[in-house]
Amino acid sequence: MAGVESAPPRPPVRWGFLSPLARGQYLALAWVQTRMFINSLRTRRGSVEFGAHILTFLVFGAIAIGPAFGLGFGAWVAVSHGRVLGISVLLWVLFLAWQFFAALAPALAGQNPELSHLLRYPVSFGSWLLLFLVYGLAAPSTLIGLLWAAAIGIGITVARPDLFLATVLTLVVFVLFNLLLSRMILAWIERWLAQRRTREIVTAIFLFLALGAQALNPAFHQSRQSRFYGIQPQKVMHLSQRFWNIQRVFPPGLATDSIMQATMQHHGLQGAEELGWLGFYTLGAGGLLALRLRSESRGENLSEAPRPSSRSRTREKLGSRALLDFSGPIAAVFEKDLRYLLRSGPMLYNLAAPLVMVVVFGGAMRGSSMSGIRLQYALPFGMVWAFLGLTRLICNNLGMEGDGIQFFFLSPTPLRTVVLGKNLLHLVLFLLEAAVISALVIFRFGVPAPSVAAATLAWLLFAVPANFAVGNLLSINMPYRVNMARIRRETGAVGNGLTSMLTQLGILVVGALVIAPCAFLGHPWLAVPILLLLAAISLFVYLRILGNVDRMVLSRMESLTLEIMKTT
Amino acid sequence: MDSPAIVIRDLTRRFGKFTAVDNVTLNVAAGQFFGFLGPNGAGKSTTIKMLTGLLAPTSGYIELLGLDFATHALEIKRQIGVVPEGLALFGRLTASEYLRFVGRMYGLDRDTTNRRTGELLDFMNLADEPKKLVTDFSHGMQKKLALAAAVIHGPRILFLDEPFEGVDAIAAGTLKAMLQRMTERGATIFLTSHVLEIVERLCSHVAIIHQGRLVANGSIDALRAGVAASLTGPQPDEKLTLEEIFLRIVSGSGSGTAEEAVQELSWLA
Repeated sequence: MAGVESAPPRPPVRWGFLSPLARGQYLALAWVQTRMFINSLRTRRGSVEFGAHILTFLVFGAIAIGPAFGLGFGAWVAVSHGRVLGISVLLWVLFLAWQFFAALAPALAGQNPELSHLLRYPVSFGSWLLLFLVYGLAAPSTLIGLLWAAAIGIGITVARPDLFLATVLTLVVFVLFNLLLSRMILAWIERWLAQRRTREIVTAIFLFLALGAQALNPAFHQSRQSRFYGIQPQKVMHLSQRFWNIQRVFPPGLATDSIMQATMQHHGLQGAEELGWLGFYTLGAGGLLALRLRSESRGENLSEAPRPSSRSRTREKLGSRALLDFSGPIAAVFEKDLRYLLRSGPMLYNLAAPLVMVVVFGGAMRGSSMSGIRLQYALPFGMVWAFLGLTRLICNNLGMEGDGIQFFFLSPTPLRTVVLGKNLLHLVLFLLEAAVISALVIFRFGVPAPSVAAATLAWLLFAVPANFAVGNLLSINMPYRVNMARIRRETGAVGNGLTSMLTQLGILVVGALVIAPCAFLGHPWLAVPILLLLAAISLFVYLRILGNVDRMVLSRMESLTLEIMKTT
Repeated sequence: MDSPAIVIRDLTRRFGKFTAVDNVTLNVAAGQFFGFLGPNGAGKSTTIKMLTGLLAPTSGYIELLGLDFATHALEIKRQIGVVPEGLALFGRLTASEYLRFVGRMYGLDRDTTNRRTGELLDFMNLADEPKKLVTDFSHGMQKKLALAAAVIHGPRILFLDEPFEGVDAIAAGTLKAMLQRMTERGATIFLTSHVLEIVERLCSHVAIIHQGRLVANGSIDALRAGVAASLTGPQPDEKLTLEEIFLRIVSGSGSGTAEEAVQELSWLA
């Protein structure tokens, strides 16, 4: 360009997560997040989402506060009475609950934040890692974990103020370890689920563990019962001692030992060796997380990896067989969505997680001293879990279309046909999940009374159309884009998630309000006709909503397209 | 040519106080290869969205193939094909799965769908990687697939929003030949593109939209004659290209030349 000055040489840039460039980037991101938040409040949807965030925070806070008091009181009692083993138990509870919920309950796991959009900027890996952790801090599992850890710390410090420093140091490292471990587990699971072969292996391990736990439960309970009759107290002491020794090499045990050393030495800084080992575990978890994120920061695509071109030279006319060998738009939508699900590890994971919950809680219910009457209702409770696995799909049934959503608006197929195809797929998935859960429940608790089984069936006839009716409304009015390759809560999902959970709760309450009084009055069969009447009403409502889908979509087409096609 | 394939009357679309398309009236004859041109933000995509049912007009009338869009949307959609701006692909299907899906959504029977899917994949050179997911395709491959999906049901009107962007030269040549054959057989093609050489080579008629208003409409020869007549001073020796016609019509709005704008950015390397 004639007459244009040459650009001055650029000064060298210092990289690193605390460099001036990085600090500027953090400020820019904080600013943009703030702006996005403020701008989002201009829309009705944004305000609802914000309200839902607050409500969710309050609900989780309410749920977590009780155990927090329990843990704090337990820590106070344990330290006051010199029973340090109690601290170990409390830290194990904290550790297991944190990791278990983070891995198995997506709503609690929160976000493994999607930061790939930052890759186009000169963001160093250190900054990227830091941002990943900071963005993930708001996960409910992290907040609950922090609250519980603080409660344990307060309990210990109130009992022994001189342990304040040791307790704080140990708990900070322990919390950091839990945070890194939960993020690391989720990040690696996502990676494994992204490819078909590893997905199959993970699924096999998942099922093996679930069935193994199921099979072990009776044996465990038998041995627990026989403990009081057959096993000698010395043997019990011996087993406890062995367990105590083994658990000491794991993070909760190391944290306990770190605090215990301080207790015995009457100094605030004893237990440095245990703390060091705990730090070593933390570094290990952080290292494995960094290893995973390093690939992502280099632009790794978590979607199904293409085969190398040399292997795909074999030319095939059509890439794969038809899953459903009949034509028609409903079958086409059914098949497309089924393929999407089968190719999405995270979605399959979401579907399988409630099954594991049923196994675990089933074991707990069986082990507890619940009465036979309450155990009879394990089947309807199991059905509620079956719905939970499908809630994301039912209540956001257009969310996984991405750019493809436009196709439905361009095609000559009425939207109600598309939605019906999706509802049918979700019905089939629900029936499969319900069948597996029924089998598990019957295996664990025996066949329920005919009246309970009939009431459950009648309740399902009410609950299924009711779920689909509300789900279709939410899918049109509160949609959000779903990333099929990631286990994460998406932007805009809180309002939808909260509303769908409240719906599930409402449907459950309706069932309980019918079944419980009838059972209490000694006429359990009376619940069946009442629920069938409700089923007819909910089917009518579902059909009305389905009939109006095209009109509703037409009125919201622009915002629907924006919500589902948006990339960040 | 008999009745027009596309009739637009007083079409307007407002977003709040901003008017993206302002009282556009336009007829496109059946069998015509029609270019719809305009600078960025002129209202091209908004107009195409309204013509294909992706966006409701604020006011105005749209008639395609003799049918009122407001009352016969589904029947019209059955007879048109669209390659929209966002391509509207389903990323987690393979190319053949996607085409089979689209065929079924347009009501084609299984055999026809499968046969056309195979033919289109061969034609577009997409058959070599049958197991690759659409999301892993290059942009050019996605574009070809979107075009294949837009024609699988044999549409009578084809709306193409920047169809050649990102497509390699060989494929672009094949596509152009295919589109020309379609118009010879009576299909109407409504094309937007910023590559004016391609529009000039393919289209017989163009319309230019600027700041939401239609500022020119007619055959390229007629527009050329109009612009040439408006020139003061000596007439150019060679006939005006479409790019020159376009620039003369649009730059009447007073925006500076590209060279002047670049002079301002003295810090550029």
